[in-house]
Amino acid sequence: MAENEHDFRKLVAGLKIDAEPDPAHRERLRRQMLQTFEETARGGISNFKFQISNMKRLAVAAAVLVAATIGVWAWLGRSGPMTFDQVRLATEKMPWIHALVTGYQNGDVRTTQHWYNFAAQKTYAVMNDGSVLGWDYGARREQFIYSPRVKAVVVSELGPAGPFGAGSAYNLIDAFAVFAAKDDVETTTWTAEHEGRTVRAYGIEAAATGLNMGGRPAARIRIAMMADPATKRVVAANIEYRGHDGSTLTREEWVIDYPQSGPAGMFDLGVPANARVIDRRQQPVGTPGDEPAVIPTPAPTSSRTLVPLQIKLPKPQFVGTPQDARTPNLEQPRGRPRPPFLAPPGTTNVALGKPVSASDRDPLYGSLDMVTDGDKEADDGSFIELGPKPQYVTIDLREPCEIYAIIVWHYHRLPRVYFDVVVQISDDKNFRTGVTTVFNNDRDNSLGLGAGTDLHYTETNEGKLIGSKGVQGRYVRLYSNGNTSDDLNHYTEVEVYGRTVKLIRDD
Amino acid sequence: MVAIMAKPVEETGYDDLVELAKTEAAALGRLYELYYDRIFRFCVHRLFNRATAEDVTSTVFLTVARMMRDFKGRTEQDFRAWVYTIAANQANAYIRKTSRRRRLMGTITAHWREDDQDSSEWSSLDWPTLYAAIQRLKPEHQTILTLRFFENLDYDEIGRVVEARPATVRVILHRVLRRLQEELRGDLGGEE
Repeated sequence: MAENEHDFRKLVAGLKIDAEPDPAHRERLRRQMLQTFEETARGGISNFKFQISNMKRLAVAAAVLVAATIGVWAWLGRSGPMTFDQVRLATEKMPWIHALVTGYQNGDVRTTQHWYNFAAQKTYAVMNDGSVLGWDYGARREQFIYSPRVKAVVVSELGPAGPFGAGSAYNLIDAFAVFAAKDDVETTTWTAEHEGRTVRAYGIEAAATGLNMGGRPAARIRIAMMADPATKRVVAANIEYRGHDGSTLTREEWVIDYPQSGPAGMFDLGVPANARVIDRRQQPVGTPGDEPAVIPTPAPTSSRTLVPLQIKLPKPQFVGTPQDARTPNLEQPRGRPRPPFLAPPGTTNVALGKPVSASDRDPLYGSLDMVTDGDKEADDGSFIELGPKPQYVTIDLREPCEIYAIIVWHYHRLPRVYFDVVVQISDDKNFRTGVTTVFNNDRDNSLGLGAGTDLHYTETNEGKLIGSKGVQGRYVRLYSNGNTSDDLNHYTEVEVYGRTVKLIRDD
Repeated sequence: MVAIMAKPVEETGYDDLVELAKTEAAALGRLYELYYDRIFRFCVHRLFNRATAEDVTSTVFLTVARMMRDFKGRTEQDFRAWVYTIAANQANAYIRKTSRRRRLMGTITAHWREDDQDSSEWSSLDWPTLYAAIQRLKPEHQTILTLRFFENLDYDEIGRVVEARPATVRVILHRVLRRLQEELRGDLGGEE
């Protein structure tokens, strides 16, 4: 049964599935659709995705955020297991708030990221179309908007009023304070679960006046905020606007974390360094102040000069590097491109097209040759999936090489963290003798290869570059032991930058 | 991003309708008539529950109504790929929500128990059982499986919906079938 497509098609054909449409629904929806179409033509219903400006979009998000705080203040101000003061204290200790916001409206799904820096009084937002917006309420008193479509940044004074105007609240705490006086909010509380943790949830429902969602007036707002009792900080929120007929106009899901560091400026958020800057204040805006420093690579080689490795990166799948707060010993994101890596001239990816073996001979997904096929994009046909628990792949370089760097992309569609990553080089295909470990973040020695001291890291399109200082060997082996999403092991691509020993001798 | 393989454009006879539907409600109504049943059926196959399928179908066509004037496609093939893409995204967004998924699986299990308590052979495989197994696949893979076997789209058409090369779709489908078979074996107590 179902051995192939033909069998499966026969199986499906024999199923009894009630998929007969209801004529009443068909007709009702037809009327509704055509009415919507006509209203769109008259401008009665704005198309959120295409017609609303980025600034307005953020203003909506900000309004939602601000509105959310009304209820939190109202509930937390009462007696209970977690008071507002506790939340405020815990929050103010954190240098940054980072929020990943998924919004659903009119069938569109959009993702935005918000950053709040309490100390510097800065707010940033990265929209899903690559637009970047920022507000500096501290020293510079300015705002900017970057449009990827025209590749330009417009910098201006802070607006006079509104959610992001000069006199407005710029962070959660201030927003709490602004709305503290309001008490016309219904609140409830319950225990909920968020990403496997028991959290305290606070629900509010309030009238929402003066807000338009996709061209329709909002009547009510419902918010559920989840706070971690251990840290007393908000970790997630669900926000829903409803229309006068009770239908959901828009819904947002916020996942909030508190990274130790954040973007230093617009250029850390995806604004290209060569973007045109239009300064409406007629003042210099500045360029990236912290250009990447060159990492010197000691190379035991006769070559006297070093040159940057030419590494072609796959397309990024998300903006920034969201950090998984649950992962201990996690490397902080650089917030800017990786510095160039220097290696002797003639250094190339010696792993390209080389044979690969693995502890799991039959990947759940993909074939082993995909590890070195040069395709490092995050597409479905580009990665392999090995089974759960510790697994490894071994690349046979076919001849001994002097290896300067290994770059591994496990799976960079999501900002996952892979556990127990160990990378070894050897001339022994069984890795019994002459083994050099060049990376090891298996801190509790769960693989039994020795405890490592390297940090966990988040997968991005840059891959993880591991310097190996010219270690010689024919085989490269990479271990992992599941990841933050599941217990499976993935490899999109492994590149090994080196030179064959023969080439070095000739040199 | 995977490049979509170029394919000769197939004339369907409705290409003019797509152009007209960008400005004329009557033409859009005609397109709706052509696609309502397909999209509703697709939603039933992806979401099991008829009421939920109706809700998601509504969202799909209201999205089409709002965005039709900006639709860049010119042919019916373009429209088909677009409307299925919206439907697939909406269905995936729906079932990604954990609470909904749990509720959905509860419904399926109830059906399963009612309909066939002694299911231990392939021949007795029913829709709730198959659906439960399909639900354990990745949402993107569920989309591909549904488009191929329930909607009878070819690899090129599926590739346009999921933004993958037809060859990639073929490979994925092959593996998805293998995975599904394993899931079903587990459900049916290891019987072959």
